[in-house]
Amino acid sequence: MSGTIRAGLLLAAAVLGAGVARARLVALEAPSAGPKDLLYLPNGKYLRAASLGQAPVAADLVYFWAIQYYSDYQRADRFRYIEHVFGSVIPELDPRFIDPYWLGALILTTEAADLEGGLRLLDLGAAKNPGEWVLPFLAGWECDHAKEYDRAAAYFDRAARIPGAPAALVRLVAGMRARGENLREAIAKWNEVLADPRGDDASHAIAERQVRTLTVRADLKDLEAAVVTFRELRGAPPRRLEELVHAGILSRLPLDPDGKPYRYDPATGAVTSDASRVLGS
Amino acid sequence: MRAMVAVALNTFREAIRDRVLYLILAVALLVVAGSRFVAMLTVGSEVKIVKDLGLAAVSIFGLLIAVFVGTALVSKEIERRTVYTLLAQPIARWQFVAGKYAGLFLVLAANVLVVGGSVLAAVALMGESPVALVPAVVLILVELAVVAAFAVLFSSFTNPILAAVGTVAVYVAGHLSWSFDLLRKRVTTGAARTLCDVLHAVLPNLDRLDVKADAVHGIAIPASTFAAAAAYGAFYALAVVVLACVVFERREFA
Repeated sequence: MSGTIRAGLLLAAAVLGAGVARARLVALEAPSAGPKDLLYLPNGKYLRAASLGQAPVAADLVYFWAIQYYSDYQRADRFRYIEHVFGSVIPELDPRFIDPYWLGALILTTEAADLEGGLRLLDLGAAKNPGEWVLPFLAGWECDHAKEYDRAAAYFDRAARIPGAPAALVRLVAGMRARGENLREAIAKWNEVLADPRGDDASHAIAERQVRTLTVRADLKDLEAAVVTFRELRGAPPRRLEELVHAGILSRLPLDPDGKPYRYDPATGAVTSDASRVLGS
Repeated sequence: MRAMVAVALNTFREAIRDRVLYLILAVALLVVAGSRFVAMLTVGSEVKIVKDLGLAAVSIFGLLIAVFVGTALVSKEIERRTVYTLLAQPIARWQFVAGKYAGLFLVLAANVLVVGGSVLAAVALMGESPVALVPAVVLILVELAVVAAFAVLFSSFTNPILAAVGTVAVYVAGHLSWSFDLLRKRVTTGAARTLCDVLHAVLPNLDRLDVKADAVHGIAIPASTFAAAAAYGAFYALAVVVLACVVFERREFA
């Protein structure tokens, strides 16, 4: 047997042996017991020091790894360290890296149903990047999905005040105020939109319609509440709306956006408006 | 001066004939080209990934060139005994060392030009202006100039392996020099504090030359900061090269 054949056989045997041993090692590997691999992910401060001037790339690599990690839906307890990864490790390495804040928040709010955790990530991102309107904007949408309209309005308002934010964000603030039944605040915001010289015709038309609709809604709400108060005080509903003013419950009777008085049915206590009917509400 | 230029050009020519240099350059360009594919793995931030990986390639592969080429520059001449022929010529020892350094700097500048230029082109092809990256690329070259100066210094009195270890150690220490300032606040004895002060002041503060994170996010580097950082690196490198010349002047050859 020549030397070449012997060497070839030895090489083949070595490759085969290594292959078999590796397969055995894989078979012996214990099943993953959850996110223990995350337990030892160092703090971003230490990773930053260890990256020797390559912190942005280290942030990218952790982000890549996190995307793959959180794409595995079979992992048990997969949300336990999510704030550590997206809210500590990556921001320490690259605080201006925006995407991890919203991606981590999206996973928390959508998959883990943890609104507060998601908002903490977005708040952290906004604190580290005060010029980025998109983070409070996304926080606003998360609150909207959770039907927390006042918080949504506060986030949209914060986003709208950041230089460079689209002017249309004020419309979202107004919309959220209306959804939260803070109708007078919503009207004030729509009036801001109406007065904004940067707005286009469509924006002004939307604002005008909203002011009309919301004014009617707010007036009807106030009048109906006043009728209820009157009935509680006098034991019977008022015969005319003017009695609400005489009783000192209202300082004056509002008129609808067309300048007409609101209609009142003493039999049912219902207050209606021609303007509201015209507007379809 | 003419002798120094001749040594520099010769060093440059010799280095660009080296296969190791081409290997490093090829891998660096591969990283830059591959960064576009790597960026597909991310959610958003594709251009940021390309910029990050590209600038890291300029920096890391430049460091490899500074270490592998720089640490052998002087010691190889001594090992091959060609230094005797060279020093028999009308050339001062300091001119020899300074020429070697200048040649190495040219190699590094060419590397930064090729790899950095590729990064800027890749970013421009993705539809973003690469202008904000230029100061970061220039300061990477300044950082490499400092590291190369140490490579030449170590190469002037020890063998390539020890010189490589020393150069890498300076690079690591240079990026951790802030820790001496931190340590100073923790230690209580006067001598230890003085040692921390000295190390913090003497070691190159390479983090001061690192503006990659700002550049990637499009934050303009103030001209005064850029000028101060470039001047710091340039004067530091000059001081180390002068030290290398002094060491080589005093060295005795058997």
